[in-house]
Amino acid sequence: MSLLKPLNKLPELNTANVLLVENEELFQKKLADAIVLLENNVNVIVRLARSLPLPLESRPRIDLVVFIVHLNSEQSLLSAEASLKHLDSSYFLGKVCFLVTGARCGTLPYERLTSLKKLAATLNSPLLMTEDRTTEGVNTVAQRVLAVLRVAAGLVPMATGLYLSSLTRCTVPTDPDWQNQD
Amino acid sequence: MDDSTKQVLRQIIRRIPLNKLQNMLSKWEHLSKKQLRSLEFTQPKWLLCDNLLSICEENDLSMKHVTELEIIYRIDHPAQGSWNVCQLIDPEEEAVTADLLHFKQLFKAHLRGLISHVSVKTKKHEDGAIWIRIAWGDNFTQPNHLKPTYVVHHLQTPYVFVSGLTMKHKPLLHQALVLSAHYGGIKDVHLSGRCLTALRDLLMRQYKQVFPVKHPRLLLERSPLPSNPNIQMEHAKHAENRLQMAAEAFGEGILPKLETAVYKLETRFRENGNGMLGRREEPFRGVVKFASSNLLESLKYCVSSGMASAPVTPLLSSITQKGRNYFVITDKGPGASHTPGPNI
Repeated sequence: MSLLKPLNKLPELNTANVLLVENEELFQKKLADAIVLLENNVNVIVRLARSLPLPLESRPRIDLVVFIVHLNSEQSLLSAEASLKHLDSSYFLGKVCFLVTGARCGTLPYERLTSLKKLAATLNSPLLMTEDRTTEGVNTVAQRVLAVLRVAAGLVPMATGLYLSSLTRCTVPTDPDWQNQD
Repeated sequence: MDDSTKQVLRQIIRRIPLNKLQNMLSKWEHLSKKQLRSLEFTQPKWLLCDNLLSICEENDLSMKHVTELEIIYRIDHPAQGSWNVCQLIDPEEEAVTADLLHFKQLFKAHLRGLISHVSVKTKKHEDGAIWIRIAWGDNFTQPNHLKPTYVVHHLQTPYVFVSGLTMKHKPLLHQALVLSAHYGGIKDVHLSGRCLTALRDLLMRQYKQVFPVKHPRLLLERSPLPSNPNIQMEHAKHAENRLQMAAEAFGEGILPKLETAVYKLETRFRENGNGMLGRREEPFRGVVKFASSNLLESLKYCVSSGMASAPVTPLLSSITQKGRNYFVITDKGPGASHTPGPNI
């Protein structure tokens, strides 16, 4: 199975493609609806998948890949990690973004969030915290994804995904016991 | 009315919930309308029970009448206790033409011939099934009405549903059934569950089944369309495929309600490393038990949502295909224990 490459299809005029990858298929439909409703100027096409790789025939151009990880399930994180292997490395120049839900819940194992943060940091990708239960939370995250998408799809003059991601990428503090401080 | 009858009636009343009691008593038809009206259903149950006992004594009801109340209640609420299924095999010519009255008489005669103290009560249900309540006694004791066995049989079908049968009385019941239904033998189907109708539907294939087709049009039509043309499912074809596989294995619509599936493993322990267990010659015994309030629905969801791999393993799909939920899995032959693919 070949890797998914960002530039093997020509871009269309005024169009942005975003791929939402979520193993549980709980949140991606809500988010997709919110994204499509919010954007009026640009033709945004939202593609939904459980995991990568995508089927080989009819592989579309994809400007931004969003991995949705639910912290309440280990499988969610494992599936995202497995899917990452099917992405071409040039995606990690500002075309990948992670969404985390449920980080507010205190009973969940903290190591999951830590390992996800480390993963995002090593891949130079932004990590967005999300509230998936409320409509406000969904709209907020839709706006943030759209902002990243516009840049990643080259719709914002003078900005590129690489430039944005160098500003927004997740960083893990070098202090070994940083997680005990908050 | 003697003491044992009173005790049985008390136990029956105790089992029936208060809100269903009035309905049951009117179905019973052994109390006059006036007597039924004189009962206060808002009273506490023990007081109501005392009043009912005195009315029954007035009407001079016997054990026969009292057990009728229990059988009426059990027919209306069959999901109490677990039901096991047996299959009659080798039908004789008379089996096809057996009628209810004849079967009833023969069954009673055969059972009485086998064991002296036994009390049999039968009732025909609206759907054509015959319900048999058997209270077993010993050679020296009276039938124990507190722990009856229930048998449900649809005439002209080979299946018999049994609830509350002890190992001691199993051969007696089986022999009486085989003789009175004109069959050559009887075997255990290895299917059990709480819901009687579900077991019947599963065995007689009365649920909506899906068969493999070349062009699964119907599924494409049924799948929900995305709300917006700008939202596309990348794995739509796979999802369709999974749904089709799941429906082929477990059926669609409302599935029969099974609670458990038990797999008894008698296979050799397989592992990649060179551990202690892998080198043992004798089989590694274990039991895998799946339990759910609706097992088939859960398994179907596992497959259709992608949690289980898409071509359903024959171990799971044979629950519906073979109509059983107890399996013993052994290695194929003594020498060929390396071959994958267990023998069911």
